[in-house]
Amino acid sequence: MNTKKIKLTNAREFGVFLVLVIIMVIMSVTSPVFLKTANLVNIVRQTVEIGIMAIGMTYLIIAGELDLSVGSLFATCAMFGGLLFKNQMFPATIVFFLVLICGIALGCVNGLLVTRVGIPSFIVTLGTMKIYRSFAYAIGNGQSISQFPESATGSWVWKLGAKIGNIPVQIFVMLILFVIAHILLKKTTYGYKVYATGGNDRAAHLSGINIKNTRLVAFAMMGFLCGIAALISTAYLNTVTTTSGEGREMDAIAAVILGGAALSGGRGTILGTFLGAIIMATVKNGMVLLNVPVFWQDGFIGIVVIIAVLIDTLFHRKDAKR
Amino acid sequence: MAPIIEFKNITKRFGGTVALNNVSFSVEEGEVHCLCGENGAGKSTLINLCGGVFTPTEGEIWVDGQPEQINSIRKSERLGFSIVHQEIPLCLNMSIAHNIFLGSKEAVKGVFLNEKHMNEKTRELLDLFHLKVEPTALLESLSIAEQSVVQIAKAVYFRPKILILDEPTAALTNDQREVMFTVVRKLVKEQRTTVLYVSHRLEEVMDLGDRLTVFKDGQFVTTRKVSEVSMDDIVTLMVGREIDKSEWGKSFATDEELLSVKGLSCGKKFHDINFSLKKGEIVGLAGFVGAGRTEVLSAIFGADRPNGGEIFIKGEKVTIRSPRDAIRHRISMIPENRRDDGLITSMSIKENAQVAVMDRISDRGMLNKKKSVELMEHMIENYGIKIGSMDDGILTLSGGNQQKVVIAKWIGNDPEILLCDEPTRGIDVGAKSEVYSILRDIAKEGIGILMVSSELPELLALCDRILVMHEGKLTGEISREEASEELIMKYAAAI
Repeated sequence: MNTKKIKLTNAREFGVFLVLVIIMVIMSVTSPVFLKTANLVNIVRQTVEIGIMAIGMTYLIIAGELDLSVGSLFATCAMFGGLLFKNQMFPATIVFFLVLICGIALGCVNGLLVTRVGIPSFIVTLGTMKIYRSFAYAIGNGQSISQFPESATGSWVWKLGAKIGNIPVQIFVMLILFVIAHILLKKTTYGYKVYATGGNDRAAHLSGINIKNTRLVAFAMMGFLCGIAALISTAYLNTVTTTSGEGREMDAIAAVILGGAALSGGRGTILGTFLGAIIMATVKNGMVLLNVPVFWQDGFIGIVVIIAVLIDTLFHRKDAKR
Repeated sequence: MAPIIEFKNITKRFGGTVALNNVSFSVEEGEVHCLCGENGAGKSTLINLCGGVFTPTEGEIWVDGQPEQINSIRKSERLGFSIVHQEIPLCLNMSIAHNIFLGSKEAVKGVFLNEKHMNEKTRELLDLFHLKVEPTALLESLSIAEQSVVQIAKAVYFRPKILILDEPTAALTNDQREVMFTVVRKLVKEQRTTVLYVSHRLEEVMDLGDRLTVFKDGQFVTTRKVSEVSMDDIVTLMVGREIDKSEWGKSFATDEELLSVKGLSCGKKFHDINFSLKKGEIVGLAGFVGAGRTEVLSAIFGADRPNGGEIFIKGEKVTIRSPRDAIRHRISMIPENRRDDGLITSMSIKENAQVAVMDRISDRGMLNKKKSVELMEHMIENYGIKIGSMDDGILTLSGGNQQKVVIAKWIGNDPEILLCDEPTRGIDVGAKSEVYSILRDIAKEGIGILMVSSELPELLALCDRILVMHEGKLTGEISREEASEELIMKYAAAI
């Protein structure tokens, strides 16, 4: 009886899962390459960057906030790390932590402006999206950074871009982050507070929850995750560009929404977000395989987002009416 | 002549639950027909069927002798229904006039808004309801009571054939209620408007109603003439048992002082408030809506910041800056507005009940499922909450059970001081008496209770002492022995 109930409420993720299966079936019929292991691994690899950022976005959206600055935050972290790796001022391990601290600090700036100054997160992060992008340009003087010295490429940090057997290390990093994020959200008091804050912040505040700090931590976490994504990307591509991460904020938000979260807050899961991120990567991958012109890619993603949310609405309309 | 509305064998199911089961009765033109029943008895479902929000699973609704499919809100309006809902569906960011004429043809002249006409008509309407505000005032600047009056005014303005009032007086002061009754009587008399009236206040049913229909658990029980029944009869029909009042009126107060407030002030909201609360004592805070009662509770709980005065807990001076501080000092507060301040509607029953007691269901930040389930079972048992599964959404519960969850949540916090703001607002007689028992039980355990209520019988039944406020000042303190409704009203009006 009880287990049945739980399965029914999980229907939200089931909807996304269904969309993913449909897309995969279509792809495997139309493209002979699609189901090959190498291609599937590639899809998951392409999920990494968006997936990691979408984890942080899930927390923010459930807490009733939004972060538009993640693409720029990612670029600033990448450029900052790139500069430090390049001029060999510090050992790679120190740079690794400095990049994460940079991410957390920039995330905290967002969080403090939202929670302590009281400016809506949409506006704050719209502003910092522009500001952080300028930081990225300024750090590199408008130029990309590449051809890293041995002290960087030979270090353990560069292993983030390597492979174990046929499987890229970054996939493991992403999966571990998803598992930790799931546990943090579902099994700890912090996760409980995130849901309560996004569900009804007045009631949460009156229940003794520090809603400001709950949100601040989510923004800081977002920054931290952007830092990790930036390090992985640097190690994988061996280059950092000032324009990297552009539009990533919307991809991350789309993945979270695909996963069944409500922009109004209080609802969403890490599993859903994971599936959402995989869908995005699968669609992109599929379009390359089917030789769809590049300029149609974003359009298709848009269609998938709307269809997935439509299915979700149809599934849950009855609930909503009650 | 055919009755104006006839319900024929109406059944309404939601999934597995039967909200209405084979209900048949009729309403005559020009009568005030009251619907009585506990929360979850099916009254709201019936109203939503009339409003076109739901359609019946089985059975037919006949209006004016014709079978009608009421499958949309528009259709319902076309048939002459006008519904005043319990929750206020108005736009807080718009003016009173704009709210009243929202969606009406009268709002426009050509392609432009007809502000002059709207404001004039709104002013007439506000005068009729004795509401002293400007038609251009934004709705959010009004109190909840005034907003309810605006909603009723809006329903009345369009001269409906059938007016449905669902708990219209829940937030109203006695004066506003009298005014509303006068207007409703006038409508019935002059325009033969039919009124379907839902209220938990049986005095109102006796006062206003011609006939009443009682529901219990989705079943039709009986239709009677109001003049032929007493209030006790109605309660017995609704609850199916008699309520034991013999224990009420016993005091558990001790001499040990828990809370004392000296010279507490907060801007224009209240000024120089002094009182104390003892262990096991239930103190009432009476007065009209807007007298500053809720604000005093908020200030003690740290939700508002007072700008003067001192708070002592067990003789020690404390500073309470936030609800967190208050909870640390073992103060709990059951807020007035359940939907906005009490519940997190996106969460389950269990999650709602435990959101203030996270420490008790976790080990070093990790939630402990076993502890959580145990605590929940304990809560269900102690407070008689009727639920299917504790993982169901909180909105699947009736209002009375939702309120019990809110109370359980705050008592589960193990407080020494419990502040309650209108603890029985909008819940039925049966649930009310259960809430009273819960409050008395915890007073017996030595918790001090400070409770705001607009229902005088409730204050008289429960409180050891009643403090009365008028326009932000304490105007009287009444002991249990001398308490009477007249005396409270005298202080509340500061005569």
